[in-house]
Amino acid sequence: MPMGKLVERLLQLVPVLLGVSVIVFLMMALTPGDPVEIMIGDQNVTAQEESLLRQDLGLDLPLHERFAAFLGNAVTGNFGLSFYHRRPVMDVIAERLPATVELSLVALLLALVTAIPLGVLAAVRKNTILDRLATVGSLLGVSLPGFWFGILLLMLFAVHLHVLPVSGRIGFSSEVQPITHFLLIDTLIQGRFDAFLDALSHVILPAITLGLPMTAILMRVTRTSMLEVMRSDYIVFAEAKGLSRHRILFRHALKNALIPTVSVAAIETGSLLGGNMIVETVFGWPGLGRLVVESIFLRNYPLVQAAVLLYALTYVMLNFVADILYTMLNPRVKL
Amino acid sequence: MRFTTLLALATAMAIAAPAALTQASEIRVGFTNDADTLDPANHRKRETETILRNMYDGILTRDGDMTVVPELAESFRQVSPTVYEFTLRKGVTFHDGSELTAEDVKFTLDRITVEGAMDGRTSPRKSLLGPVEEIEIVDDRTIRIHLGEPWPILPAMLPFQEVVSKAFVEKVGTDGLATQVNGTGPFRLVDWRRGDSVIMERFDGYYGGADDIAPVGKACVDRVIFKVIPENASRVAALLAGDVDIINDLPAHSVAQVKNNPGTDVVTANGTRSFFVALNTQGDIFDDPKVRQAAMHAIDKDLIIDRILAGNAVAIEGILSPDAFGHNRELTVYDYDPELARAMLAEAGYPDGVDLQLDTEGAYKDVAEAVASLLTKAGFRTTVVVGEGSQLSSKWRTRGGEKTGDMYFTSWGNGSLDPYGIFVPTHRTNDRGNSAGYSNPALDEILDEAGVEADTEKRAALYRKAEAIVNEDLPYLYLWVPQDIYGVSRRLKGWKPSPDSRINLHDACVD
Repeated sequence: MPMGKLVERLLQLVPVLLGVSVIVFLMMALTPGDPVEIMIGDQNVTAQEESLLRQDLGLDLPLHERFAAFLGNAVTGNFGLSFYHRRPVMDVIAERLPATVELSLVALLLALVTAIPLGVLAAVRKNTILDRLATVGSLLGVSLPGFWFGILLLMLFAVHLHVLPVSGRIGFSSEVQPITHFLLIDTLIQGRFDAFLDALSHVILPAITLGLPMTAILMRVTRTSMLEVMRSDYIVFAEAKGLSRHRILFRHALKNALIPTVSVAAIETGSLLGGNMIVETVFGWPGLGRLVVESIFLRNYPLVQAAVLLYALTYVMLNFVADILYTMLNPRVKL
Repeated sequence: MRFTTLLALATAMAIAAPAALTQASEIRVGFTNDADTLDPANHRKRETETILRNMYDGILTRDGDMTVVPELAESFRQVSPTVYEFTLRKGVTFHDGSELTAEDVKFTLDRITVEGAMDGRTSPRKSLLGPVEEIEIVDDRTIRIHLGEPWPILPAMLPFQEVVSKAFVEKVGTDGLATQVNGTGPFRLVDWRRGDSVIMERFDGYYGGADDIAPVGKACVDRVIFKVIPENASRVAALLAGDVDIINDLPAHSVAQVKNNPGTDVVTANGTRSFFVALNTQGDIFDDPKVRQAAMHAIDKDLIIDRILAGNAVAIEGILSPDAFGHNRELTVYDYDPELARAMLAEAGYPDGVDLQLDTEGAYKDVAEAVASLLTKAGFRTTVVVGEGSQLSSKWRTRGGEKTGDMYFTSWGNGSLDPYGIFVPTHRTNDRGNSAGYSNPALDEILDEAGVEADTEKRAALYRKAEAIVNEDLPYLYLWVPQDIYGVSRRLKGWKPSPDSRINLHDACVD
């Protein structure tokens, strides 16, 4: 792949991000609801004290000045102070981001290890009862609201069976020194197997809930593309040559059938971030998604702006990676 | 999907209950919110204060009956209408072992009331201390608070402020205080896992707390944990599963489930938030007090309290909670009488009834719909329109700006239970919370007078008079004050919910 093309694609990201920042800024600013009003709530405050607070939050400036300040600072990665935490937005986000990324990665991993074998199986056993079950299952997987499914899992495994914890990221007796800030990795590095199991028991239900729709989608994609590949000439030729079924499936067919799966997975990973907002709320997962939801209701402009920009950047980058992966797996496609 | 479920089961079996790790006694609270910050002067959220109040003590506090009693102060007295004197206890230490002095108390109050006192920024809690002008150190155990004008509710407002250590704040700065705690409270901070939990352990050097609130002494349990679980259903699940011992904000529809579960129970405290329907008194329909009274007769509060709120609320006839200072016990009760309401509406010029909209937030949709259907029965054909909280507040709390709606189902909190904090903002002409657009110069005068009246009995009489006026004028349909509902584990002993929504764990024990 030529380097020039790569750079060109990267440069194309700039206007996209600029556009996103304009939209998110305007949307927050134009949404009815005043952060100062929400912050003061039911308290009795004089007009002077209120204007002092407004000034302190930088909300006394006209819209265009606020936007200019926001853009200028955003370029340097400074998104200002979170209205509520009274600390730099990036610090607040940095504290919560690892939990979200860890959860998303576990969900992605779970989705991949279940979706691909199931997809292949459904394709190989086409139109059998197994295929039908997988189809119905994936339909359910896409349609079940994460919110409902999560609570169902909670009621079963935490309340009735008592085998998994209800919420949080790790138990209170497990103190883990942060190294990578991913608990599953940190606990292993430090040889704390008990703490690792503790963290794993916390992540499993939210990861299943979060990964379920993705599992369903990936399974369908794998099945379809596997069926398509199995019909192609080179597979027929391989069969004619008398190669074993096993060898045909895994050495020849799967490699090509996985191309769409990989690129869909990369794009869908972006949507895991969106799903996080619900799953994190249900499972009390201390991640970024929940923070953003809370911040939207509180009109915590700086935090929402920074977080949305971060989401957009991640999404755009994942698409970019998907494109590159696609061209690498399928050299006939050019960037 | 079957496979993922199987996988979960398999993993679950392999892990098998990592719970039951605690030998030391521990209380876990499933709580709706995380703390915004650990700096007691740098937030405006009640939940943040609930958490902090277990690590920080105040000059004054409240007992179970909401009476203000000395905490870090030994005693206090009013020297003149604008001067209060506080004598501090001897031998109170901060978590780092240093002793509490008058300097610390002055520093704490200055940090809140002086502009730019927090490393150049001003505390968002400044307005909670009203006209406090100067803190004078008389000797190392005595301070005087000087007010710019008489402000009789100072003692009622001081429990909302927590005392910090001057030396500590000067060392770590305002940034440091956001994540570190050095208080005088019964628990010290172990770890704050942002968005997840606040872990505290007993402070063995604790002086014992307010003398008027038994038992006096160190905290009963070794550790307490506030675990953040924002979602209602998950919080209830955590209680039922035994993961937590107390949950706040138990939804009324889960009360029966928690009561019937063998290990858990429900406890309540009178709340401090009044619910009401604002009637647009500037509009064409509700500018007539007769129509407003007709609407009041259309509502069967007892029915709604009984059926929807599971009995966990007390009806009000004015803006104040029955527990509030100056509450008038002789207000007119508008009996539920839809026929009378219809007749009054016809008399006021609407024989065919009227079409109206009732704005409310999603959280109150059920109750607002019940109100709407009762109104509809009496000729006020009402449709409920659900909006988002802050958007509705911009529409209704216009401070004198033009109002566009008919009715607004909303509420106002009053943690201090002093009428000043709720009566003035909701009823004074053009004030912040006056969503009815109500203006009554005679009432404004009474409220202004009561705000500075130093004589307690006279002040109470003024508020009683004010309530009698609004009970007749009805700018709002006054509805009820819901109780705060908590779910608790039966192993919990000695803990009582407090009417100011604080979760004070000093006295709580576990079996």
